Amino acid sequence: MSGIPRIKVNNYHTFFYQYEFSLLDALEAQEIPAPYNCRGGYCGCCKVRLLDGEVEYVQDGLVELQEDEILTCCCRPKTHIEIELPEG
Amino acid sequence: MSYSTFSPSNHDATREPMFFGRPVNVARYDRQKYPIFEKLIEKQLSFFWRPEEVDLTNDRKDFMEMPEHEKHIFLSNLKYQTLLDSVQGRSPNVAFLPVVSLPELETWFETWAFSETIHSRSYTHIIRNIITEPAEVFDTIVTTPEIIQRAQTVTRLYDEFIHLVSIYSVQGAGVHQINGIRYDASLPALKKKLYLTLVSVNVLEAIRFYVSFACSFAFAERALMEGNAKIIKLIARDEALHLTGTQQMLNLIASGAEGAQFKQIAAECEEQVYAMFREAAEQEKAWAEYLFREGSMIGLNARILGDYVEYITNVRMKALGLRELFPPRQNPLPWMNGWLISDNVQVAPQEAEISSYLVGQIDNDVDSDDFDGFDL
Repeated sequence: MSGIPRIKVNNYHTFFYQYEFSLLDALEAQEIPAPYNCRGGYCGCCKVRLLDGEVEYVQDGLVELQEDEILTCCCRPKTHIEIELPEG
Repeated sequence: MSYSTFSPSNHDATREPMFFGRPVNVARYDRQKYPIFEKLIEKQLSFFWRPEEVDLTNDRKDFMEMPEHEKHIFLSNLKYQTLLDSVQGRSPNVAFLPVVSLPELETWFETWAFSETIHSRSYTHIIRNIITEPAEVFDTIVTTPEIIQRAQTVTRLYDEFIHLVSIYSVQGAGVHQINGIRYDASLPALKKKLYLTLVSVNVLEAIRFYVSFACSFAFAERALMEGNAKIIKLIARDEALHLTGTQQMLNLIASGAEGAQFKQIAAECEEQVYAMFREAAEQEKAWAEYLFREGSMIGLNARILGDYVEYITNVRMKALGLRELFPPRQNPLPWMNGWLISDNVQVAPQEAEISSYLVGQIDNDVDSDDFDGFDL
């Protein structure tokens, strides 16, 4: 893929990644209410589903994840991605 | 199998289960069955802090000027936290070390319990700094019925499990009659008790601390007791990490990675697990009522705190793959998040770095030609 990764969020808008430290920071910059707690990869609160695309990790996550789950505080997009925030 | 402090057997620990396998022989960390526990240890070590680093002189002034009902809220929370950390400073070691079989998990228990002793020391530090006679606080912990009632729920499973493991250690696995009392120390019974004990510890660190945390941070949001809030923030950071530890163990057991028998036991316990979460949430809501019975504080009252307990209970249950007990809601105390972020924790002024700054920050990869551009 070339160019700036595009982030699509279910129930919210699609935007271009502005090279924030993490995906969580990118979501917050867009004022999307993404859940978080520790921002250190161990509480698991920022878990979301990655529906499409790839991410790369910028810090170690310590939480068990399913195949399609990512921690937004620990990664940033590598390609165009589509994610699904948890309900509630 | 009876416990040995050093088993000379030459077995491969990565083939052992987490619990009730062969006792750990060599404390080696080059090969790990579950590297996650090694990561938790490293994270916990990078979190190391000392309560004396936080200055509490302003807190003393704040405390003296507080109205009586706020003093009641503040001290009651400290008492309860003192009790919880007294339990946690010793119990993981006493309960789990005799039955653990993986070196990385063994060390995780020890690292975990050690960090709890720092929390206990912080409470002494706080109380000594804000009150002239600390005994007035410490001596009343065991005489406050609201605290003792919850202490019994917190410690019951620990005690039962420790008791059963002692019998297992002396008599071996099986059903035993001792002084006319029948004890089921068979492996399935031990595993069930272990699983429930882990759940109770998870509940303790996941829910029970948070009412006190919320009050401490609510004071600090009004620029009161800020030294205390700094310490509580460090404690909250540790507790969130410990919580990940028990969640990992419970999820591993439930996933079947620890054997079909253990998986089945986890499935059979499901109703009890829901009951434990519900009981803890109800007790914490009752505790909030007790705290605010003489008056509430700005920004916080028993109802909002009760909502927060329900919210946090839902979050924790989701992490274990359980269904939510309470109606889904937004976080009723959104400002709490600012206090629960680990990276903003500043241990000492020169350490305004990410919290894991101690790990992997030194670059040894220097070539001789790296200095080619330098002229003297």
